[in-house]
Amino acid sequence: MTDLVCCNLLRKQCLRRLFWVVFVMASAYTTPHVAEEPNAAKESSDGPTFDADVRPILQRSCFKCHGEKRQKAELDLRTAETITQGGESGTIVVPGKPDESPLYEVVHEGAMPPGKKNRLSERDVETIRDWILGGAQFGSNNAAPVQRVNQHDVIPVMLLRCTVCHGKSRREGGLDLRTKESMLEGGKSGPAFVPGRPEESLMLKRLHAGEMPPRRQVVSVGVKPMEDGEIELLTQWIGLGAPTMPSSPPRESQFNESEQSFWAFRPVRDVEVPNVQGTKRVRNSVDAFVLAALESEGLSLAPEADKITLLRRAYFDLLGLPPPPEEVARFVNDTNPEAYEKLVDRLLASSDYGERWGRHWLDVSGYADSEGKREQDLSRLHAYRYRDYVIRAFGADKPYDRFLTEQLAGDELYDYESAPKITPEIYDALVATGFLRMGPDGTWAAITNFVPDRLEVIADALDVIGSGLMGLTFKCARCHSHKFDPIPQRDYYRLSAIFKGAYDEHSWLRPGKAAQYPFRARKFATRTLPHVLPEELEAWKTHNQPIEAELAELAKQFGADESQAREARVTARLKELPEELHEDLQKLLATKAEDRDEVQRYLATKFEKSLTFDLSALKKADEEFNKRSKDYDRKKTELDEKLLPEPQIRALWDRGAPSPTYLLQRGNYLTSGSLVAPGFPSILTATGSKFEPTPPWPGSTKTGRRLALARWLVQPEHPLTARVITNRVWRNHFGRGLVKTLGNFGRLGARPTHPKLLDYLAAEFMRSGWSFKTIHRLLMTSSTYRQSSAVTAAHEQLDPDGSLYSRMPLRRLDAEELRDSILLAAGRLDRTRYGRPDRVEERDDGSVMEKGTNRGWRRSVYVEQRRKQPLTLFESFDLPVMNPNCLERQNSNVAPQALYLLNNGRVRRLAAAFAERVLTAAGEEPAAQVEHAYLIALSRYPSDHESRVSVEALSKLRAEWQRATESSVSSAEPGNEPTNDTQNPTLLALQDLCHTLINSAAFLYVD
Amino acid sequence: MAKTIDNPQANRREFFGEMGTGLYAGALAYLLGRDLHAPSIARAEESPPATPSRVFDPGPRTPHFEPRAKSVIHLFMNGGPSQMDMFDPKPMLDKHHGEEYFDKIAGDVENPFAAGALMRSPFEFDRHGKSDIWMSELLPELSKHVDDMAFIRSMYTNNLTHETALYKIHSGRLFPGNPSLGSWVVYGLGSENQNLPAYVVLDDPKGLPINGIENWQAGYLPPLYQGTRFRSNGPPVLHLEPESPQPVEVSKLRRELLSRLDRIHKDQRFGQPQLDARIASYELAARMQLAASAALDFSDEPKETLEMYGIGQKETDSYGRRCLLARRLVERGVRFVQIFIEYQIWDHHGSIEAGLKRSCKKTDRPAAALLHDLKRSGLFDDTLVVWGGEFGRLPLSQLSGKKDLKTAGRDHNKNAFTTWMAGAGIKRGTVYGATDDFGFASVENRVAVQDWHATILHLLGLDHEKLVFERNGLEEKLTGVFETRVVKEILA
Repeated sequence: MTDLVCCNLLRKQCLRRLFWVVFVMASAYTTPHVAEEPNAAKESSDGPTFDADVRPILQRSCFKCHGEKRQKAELDLRTAETITQGGESGTIVVPGKPDESPLYEVVHEGAMPPGKKNRLSERDVETIRDWILGGAQFGSNNAAPVQRVNQHDVIPVMLLRCTVCHGKSRREGGLDLRTKESMLEGGKSGPAFVPGRPEESLMLKRLHAGEMPPRRQVVSVGVKPMEDGEIELLTQWIGLGAPTMPSSPPRESQFNESEQSFWAFRPVRDVEVPNVQGTKRVRNSVDAFVLAALESEGLSLAPEADKITLLRRAYFDLLGLPPPPEEVARFVNDTNPEAYEKLVDRLLASSDYGERWGRHWLDVSGYADSEGKREQDLSRLHAYRYRDYVIRAFGADKPYDRFLTEQLAGDELYDYESAPKITPEIYDALVATGFLRMGPDGTWAAITNFVPDRLEVIADALDVIGSGLMGLTFKCARCHSHKFDPIPQRDYYRLSAIFKGAYDEHSWLRPGKAAQYPFRARKFATRTLPHVLPEELEAWKTHNQPIEAELAELAKQFGADESQAREARVTARLKELPEELHEDLQKLLATKAEDRDEVQRYLATKFEKSLTFDLSALKKADEEFNKRSKDYDRKKTELDEKLLPEPQIRALWDRGAPSPTYLLQRGNYLTSGSLVAPGFPSILTATGSKFEPTPPWPGSTKTGRRLALARWLVQPEHPLTARVITNRVWRNHFGRGLVKTLGNFGRLGARPTHPKLLDYLAAEFMRSGWSFKTIHRLLMTSSTYRQSSAVTAAHEQLDPDGSLYSRMPLRRLDAEELRDSILLAAGRLDRTRYGRPDRVEERDDGSVMEKGTNRGWRRSVYVEQRRKQPLTLFESFDLPVMNPNCLERQNSNVAPQALYLLNNGRVRRLAAAFAERVLTAAGEEPAAQVEHAYLIALSRYPSDHESRVSVEALSKLRAEWQRATESSVSSAEPGNEPTNDTQNPTLLALQDLCHTLINSAAFLYVD
Repeated sequence: MAKTIDNPQANRREFFGEMGTGLYAGALAYLLGRDLHAPSIARAEESPPATPSRVFDPGPRTPHFEPRAKSVIHLFMNGGPSQMDMFDPKPMLDKHHGEEYFDKIAGDVENPFAAGALMRSPFEFDRHGKSDIWMSELLPELSKHVDDMAFIRSMYTNNLTHETALYKIHSGRLFPGNPSLGSWVVYGLGSENQNLPAYVVLDDPKGLPINGIENWQAGYLPPLYQGTRFRSNGPPVLHLEPESPQPVEVSKLRRELLSRLDRIHKDQRFGQPQLDARIASYELAARMQLAASAALDFSDEPKETLEMYGIGQKETDSYGRRCLLARRLVERGVRFVQIFIEYQIWDHHGSIEAGLKRSCKKTDRPAAALLHDLKRSGLFDDTLVVWGGEFGRLPLSQLSGKKDLKTAGRDHNKNAFTTWMAGAGIKRGTVYGATDDFGFASVENRVAVQDWHATILHLLGLDHEKLVFERNGLEEKLTGVFETRVVKEILA
């Protein structure tokens, strides 16, 4: 969809456009009469004519959408003029060439008119074909109008091929080629062109000579040479005197009644809470909505789950961790009727909450610690600040409207550049814009930093915003108007224009550290801001200063050592030469090359080489020095590793003076269409909201466009923002969205199963000040949430897929919950929060494991998320690589999961640590061991049956290990005996039990 | 699947119905319905289920139409093999050797500073077989098989960097996150052997190719369909055996304990098929241990076969083993086998004369042996063998700092490369398409990557327009929205 079309097609399109230009100009610049009889093709006398044959077909089948009332895809098929103009995808008819004419293509393939029933008859298709083949004549009364090449044909070419060196950030030769005016103003060598005189125009001379863009430089600056058609176009324009056309007022999008009244585009309604029969089960309004639907199917809510089930469910849902054993006893014994509500409040206040719910948001934003795409998978040194920002925001219940505004436009909230001091608010707002810097991005490397590569990065960001925040599949409109939703292609580019102040494909900031680039690429600015909190800066300096001092001292010592060694070498070498030369040669070496006299220059050619020792020569010549040098290198590396990188924020910010935005026909960057202004999606502006950005503070060069977008998104009248996010919250509690397709609220998405409930929740969310915790409390204290997950025969018949919420779903732990639970059971979960991610490494066997410390391993949200090296455990348990993000986790059940949990060495060692804990708490008595193992792993006591089976297994396993140990001890080599620990059959058996519990369904599933 | 085309609404609901329960319960239904002790070689004439299953299961599925091929062996040639030095002779290059050409194609060169003049091939070409097909002296063994092969000389792709072009050739898009060809195939057709993964990747023990595991990812398809790496030494599948060995009896007791506990858990939870599926996946894991090890055990192969593949000889041993393993896997009903070789063995930026010789030496004999072996065992009729890389190379020399033609290489070329296919459904002894005089660009009967994908799917009985997966309400296809055609001219 978003790939580049092959170069052949690009050329074809370029030529197509040129064809019209030339064709029409030929008509316009001869005599008016000739225009009526163009020589492009002969009109055959018996061929179809527009008026008699073609227009009636179009009128019958096409005018409904491409006629007077509506011009879908900006196409009007009524007149010669409008047909010649084409639509948003450009030219639709190429005279004489039906196979290159989109009009013929779509009717021939049956893509238009939409719907099988409406297809044109073969005869009609034939007629259209013949008409085009015959030259697409409009007849004498309908002569095609003059379509003149103007600045909007030329400027996109300049932006694409020239302005990287002659534009906003660089002005080589003093030349700026971004506008007609600046071209005429010219540079050091004079104006870029002379209107009406192509042959005298400097720019064309340089182009024809193949000098611009300099061919050997094209990769390092990220442009391609002009296509022949483009030079031709430019020549025509200059030849015509460089005509300009005022930008026409934007066409109003037209939507029909059914499009406008589609549920997702209407504002959130005030809904009445329904009356239901089962009032006893109604704890809050959520239950009333759910029960109303259940009762209409003859169902009711399932019985309430027992306390222990509720406890484990609530813990995992809010914290992503199981309840600790002591909490089990405390909660079960708490007879307060409000015990459960108190539990929910306790969990909401827990600092573990942000790590769980922040992770849900990191899925939406597509958080990653590396750039992806390129093999190097460049690390994002500073991305973790955004992860921490998200975790903290959830922990503090930051209102969602504020949360979104900061992420979309934090740089436009505060004048950070003139702020006397960076406050936590400013810092947060800047870090939050990392949201827009999360997509996979290979543009740090020259060869993948061309305009189409950058457009991919922008497209990913728009995709995240479209599907993640608005529930709309905007990406479909990148190449053509959306086929199912009322999103004209123009709206896609209007949205992209909002981001142009920061995301400008013609003025691009590259990711990564400048120093990581090859020297030629360093002229590109990068994407980090230095505006961290003063305390952090101070702490960083304090940390680095002594290390830097030590490094300097080390370098000094080594430098002295090196000169000494060199002197010694020189002296030794001199000794091999005749003594009479010594003095002269020493003088020679002490004299700079440019100050030497003739004799010295002669001596230099003879002896200098053999008397000069660079570092590597010195190392070769002097074994002792070589050793010291290695020692120095090692010490230096050790110290270097202790240095912390300068604290910086990976951010996105408006840099002012954005390039103009042109619609890209068929999404192809080589075929730009009409100029578009920034604006909101038109279907969503029915409430009258207009896009009116203002600079965020007086004197600011920032456009304020993203801030205007953010403010519009979070106004209560916006039909999607609150619905989309509350639907997500619902999904993460109940296993499925009220709208199943979390990222698609459009026509191809699912309809809400409980539309009124969705609106009720959205309204409550906004009323509460966009507070997530309010919604959690509302949902989790409902009877609906407290239901048992047991399935009955009635359920299977009346609510087979659970979409009526007649029970809670049984759910599998997410990858992170699983890993954190194993670590917790083993007592090896390091609760250190925030900061740089824990590195991952690829093992020889191909598995990717994370590094821990002597404190254990931190929660999964802190494990480095490398796009090319996903943690094997995460990969097996459905934590996807973010490309660009994850709208909803999958939940698979495949053999490699079993293999991992059974056979991975670390899991086994963690099971051993888990067994140690059990042994410490329970002692040697098997039944007590089983009970403790269950409490730790499953937050409950074993049933009698489970206990019996487990105790029995312990005894058999112990016996088996005993036997194995005896046979191996007898055969073991003396002096090579394993330690007692691993030889203790009781402990080994207990490890097996613990390992088995980690593998058990009860561990992996939450009721 | 056809239902999706005609009635997207209905199908979408059904689909999300499945997603909603969040499991691939069909796997279980399928597994439990089979004899778990079925012989491991199950390349069967079994009839597939009458109606296409709506759940994601690994069982065999009905293709869209009568397939020509049941399995694919993809010999992937990392790095961009030089077409004009192996398959696509260019006499005009000899004639214009040394002439400047760079300025004409500057926008298509990755390393402009190293670009030299036009450079002739250092290798001799000759005609081979009854079909008189040109091959260079680099591939003496494969040259014997030209009468079975179909060459596409007019391939082109859309980007000249490895990563991007690899994404394209493996998943049809220029960026990561999309299902690979093999994933689509096993999503569409399932597997005929439930004890082995349907899609097996034989990567080089020397290391992963560029893009690593992304080359065989399932993208947005369920992970069930991603390629499984088989290693040629040690346990073939990651975590197939415990890191530290246990006594057999202990393993057995542990399995028993787990099974008993899981059944107690399940019995208390009526109507939760995912719990059955989970138990089944543990059983499958155990069976896979045996089946995978058996596939890897070459002790039943005659010595002569091992020799034919070059196993035991330094240059060919590694690749030969993987080629032989590919045959054994296909024989056991594995649907899609992909062989990778070294990091970028064909990426000859420098010293192409010596480098290309080495690369061919490593692969020529094993690949030819594979063709021969498939033919004599009767597998050739329903196995498709595909050979090719991610792009081709330029007719220009690429020069290092010394500007010495002896150490010259060739830079990447997205506009032209050659691939070949052989086996099931292929028109034997065919050369299709042509490049320009210098081999810079495909000009005649151009074949895009999506056409190549569609052709492979077609041979497997899959229609690229109908093989769709619904995601977030949208239909996704391997060939996307690109204009795509099956290259029927190379089909028998």
